Amino acid sequence: MATTTLHPAAPAYRSRLYEWLTTTDHKKIGILYLINSLLFFFAGGILALVVRVELAVPGLQFMDEAFYNQAFTMHASFMLFLFVIPVLAGFANYVVPLQIGAPDMAFPRINALSFWLLPLGGALMASGFLVEGGAAASGWTEYPPLTDDRFMGTGTDLWIVGLILIGTSSILGGVNFLVTIFKMRAPGMTLFRMPILVWTALVTSVLVIMATPVLTSALIMLFIDRNYGGNFFDPANGGQAILYQNVFWFYSHPAVYIMILIAMGIISEVLPVFSRKPLFGYKAFVYATAGIGALGFSVWAHHMFTTGAVFLPFFSLMTFLIAVPTGVKMFNWIATLWQGKISFTTPLLFAVGFLTMFLIGGINGAFHAAVPVDFALHDTYYVVAHIHYVLFGGSVFGVFAGIYYWFPKMSGRMLNETLGKVQFVLMFIGFNLTFFPMHQLGLSGMPRRIADYASSAGWNELNLAATIGGFLIAASMLPFLWNVLVSLRSGQIAGDDPWEGNTLEWATSSPPPPYNFDHLPEIRSERPLFDLRHGRTHAATTPPGPDRSPQPTH
Amino acid sequence: MSTPPRSGAGSGPLVAAIVIIVTAAIALIALAATGITPQRAWDSFFPLTPVTEQGDRIKELYDIVFYIAVAIFFAVEGAIVWAVFRYRRRPGDDELPPQTHGNNLIEVIWTVIPTVIVAVLFVLSWQTLNQVDTAVAGEQQPQDVRIRANAAQFQWTFDYLDANGETVFTQNVPQGEQGGMVVPVGRSVTVSLRSPDVIHAFYVPQFLFKRDVVPGRENVFEFTVDEPGVYRGQCAELCGTFHAAMVFEVRAIDSAAYDAWLAEQVENASATPPPAPSGGAGEVVEVTAVNIAFTSGELRAPADTPFTIRFVNEDDGVPHNVEVKDAGGASLFQGEIFNGNDQRDYQVPALPAGEYEFLCTVHPNMTGTLIAE
Repeated sequence: MATTTLHPAAPAYRSRLYEWLTTTDHKKIGILYLINSLLFFFAGGILALVVRVELAVPGLQFMDEAFYNQAFTMHASFMLFLFVIPVLAGFANYVVPLQIGAPDMAFPRINALSFWLLPLGGALMASGFLVEGGAAASGWTEYPPLTDDRFMGTGTDLWIVGLILIGTSSILGGVNFLVTIFKMRAPGMTLFRMPILVWTALVTSVLVIMATPVLTSALIMLFIDRNYGGNFFDPANGGQAILYQNVFWFYSHPAVYIMILIAMGIISEVLPVFSRKPLFGYKAFVYATAGIGALGFSVWAHHMFTTGAVFLPFFSLMTFLIAVPTGVKMFNWIATLWQGKISFTTPLLFAVGFLTMFLIGGINGAFHAAVPVDFALHDTYYVVAHIHYVLFGGSVFGVFAGIYYWFPKMSGRMLNETLGKVQFVLMFIGFNLTFFPMHQLGLSGMPRRIADYASSAGWNELNLAATIGGFLIAASMLPFLWNVLVSLRSGQIAGDDPWEGNTLEWATSSPPPPYNFDHLPEIRSERPLFDLRHGRTHAATTPPGPDRSPQPTH
Repeated sequence: MSTPPRSGAGSGPLVAAIVIIVTAAIALIALAATGITPQRAWDSFFPLTPVTEQGDRIKELYDIVFYIAVAIFFAVEGAIVWAVFRYRRRPGDDELPPQTHGNNLIEVIWTVIPTVIVAVLFVLSWQTLNQVDTAVAGEQQPQDVRIRANAAQFQWTFDYLDANGETVFTQNVPQGEQGGMVVPVGRSVTVSLRSPDVIHAFYVPQFLFKRDVVPGRENVFEFTVDEPGVYRGQCAELCGTFHAAMVFEVRAIDSAAYDAWLAEQVENASATPPPAPSGGAGEVVEVTAVNIAFTSGELRAPADTPFTIRFVNEDDGVPHNVEVKDAGGASLFQGEIFNGNDQRDYQVPALPAGEYEFLCTVHPNMTGTLIAE
């Protein structure tokens, strides 16, 4: 009897490489995001060491000024655009559909496109090192007129085009997250039952969609100025140099929150699980996140207080005010730990590292909101200290908390706790040794972005300390890499829920199957698994959604 | 039901204590070995001593912000550390802690208190701002000193202006005994900023102040120095490859001495320059400047006889010269400053045998060694 098969009995054999290169599975794409981001983290870290080696002692020892300027420009560009933003998008990619009980992102192919734009944009940016004149060297802010073709070569064009692609990746990802979060939540998963990480991904996506196109427009104007004589920013031909700064920071200040909110979301998952309590003040936390997102659009000119071209009192006031919702979050996290039963696992250590260091990044930022104090500290190493306490002390510690927390879900195996703690201790000490002295360097007048300084300026000891700290941070990556390699092969088997988690990703296998869930527990609160574990709800037997049959994942 | 993995029974706090003690010990030993006193360490948390009236106001504001910040730091950091150590899970403890979901009263309190603190800080900083950022172009008193600072890749020059805004003297030498931005103590100095190329920033750390030099825009600020002395300044906005070379000094002198100094400079500027000595004298030593650096770090010249330095400036539109200093830093010879691409023959007087420093007066970090033998 003739039979008709609607589906091929077995898909044609595809190699694992082909599978990964063509996947539209949000989990695989999330992991690709993480790997790509970590590669750029290491590349950016090496460039940071290049900068620190040159600054260790006065005098130019290892490179000329031209290469130095490329090194710090590309360090910041890699770290901000190719590490911090995408690594957090990667966590959201992996975790958000799982946490809301969805089988995948709303637009899996667009999701794949979002990812593949990143290595392409990154490669374009990095290829500046190969062209004549070297990579972009005007700082990651690329202020005109210094970016003009009179001063900067092809590397700057590659930087602009690369960043436009990276920005496009962000915008596509933002749309995808919003549709996924609004349309694909499992039955019972109301907005106010969503895990905080999903909320932070939601607010981040709104920021991305509203701010990133503005950056793209600034970059296109810059490109036209450089290549076709556009005169948008050239004062010699009626343009405005300050205009670029307004447009750039209108993106780049909200971008600071794009670079931290999801890390805050990670912390808000880790702290409750390991103190065995719910997050204190869930709704206040959600409102604070939304408040940061809204206020984030009204503080951009605090990067421009010394230009003499901004309305100082307004931006000073808004900058002070944005400290309030951030403070509320800090208090909520501490209250979550309070009276808990805290297990000192590696994710918890990194989360506590985030709290203690991000606090410093918040406090030393408030100095700049006081405009006259900013006149003294702007563009000095004090600002370098501030941004690193926020983005390293905050985001990077959050990223490692996330890696240690979800690695068992992604791989099915636990990371080694001892190696994790060694990494944490080295990184925590190295981080503070590197960046704390920069406060004092800035207060004693050391400007940022200088290749060399006089030995009589009094900056020798602190710079040497910062360089030693930089190498400690680099050393802390060795136990991490060793840990990942060894644990992937022979780590302890994780099981579905090694941490007694609260959220839905721990209700499926580790790693989860394609389309994530065979069945979902009942969702009655923001902690469905906690409810299930303590007998408040029952495991549902019917899988949600219309069609759960396995499909090829490409 | 599985329990979360945790650190080996009881050893966690011990290991943590050992790590903390060892780290603190290393830090203390390192501090002691470098001779850093507690006083110096404490001072490093404050800006350099301000030397202007405006700087004094900014320092007062900084102190207020600093002490509030320190108080918040210890309170919150203390709460984190206390919570982490006090509420750690003991081995074998499987009971759930109280499941507190929140408390509206506490939420309101810890929203209102920070709001009040930042509101107070905002008002204080606004008041200080109105005291230190007062300059309006064209509203100067007759006795005020008016200077236009020109920032260009990669040097500072200072135009001294009369009441009509006309330049009476241009200071091309950014630092040293004969150079620097010379200002009188106790009189208001109005500085306008001009850039022909990219954005720079006028920054004197001991003024606790900086202002961007934006092409196409004339920023103005004023200050009154209250302490005679020499104060280091530097460009603070990345302006290209040799950004770090854009250093200068502010030399604050007594008001009467300033008037005499300016009159002398104006007179010298209008005097006809002495005729250049005809013909090259003695041996010719060649040196070239390119990319804000001398191509050779060491020159050799005959001792005890006049000689000629043939100086080639290959930096288009950038001023350079050659100056010779003795080991004590006293200037023995200073060549004419001129823009590239050009060259000059400098007639240098006889030097006793020994080692001298030569440098570019405009870019003091362009240096080399001159050996007379």
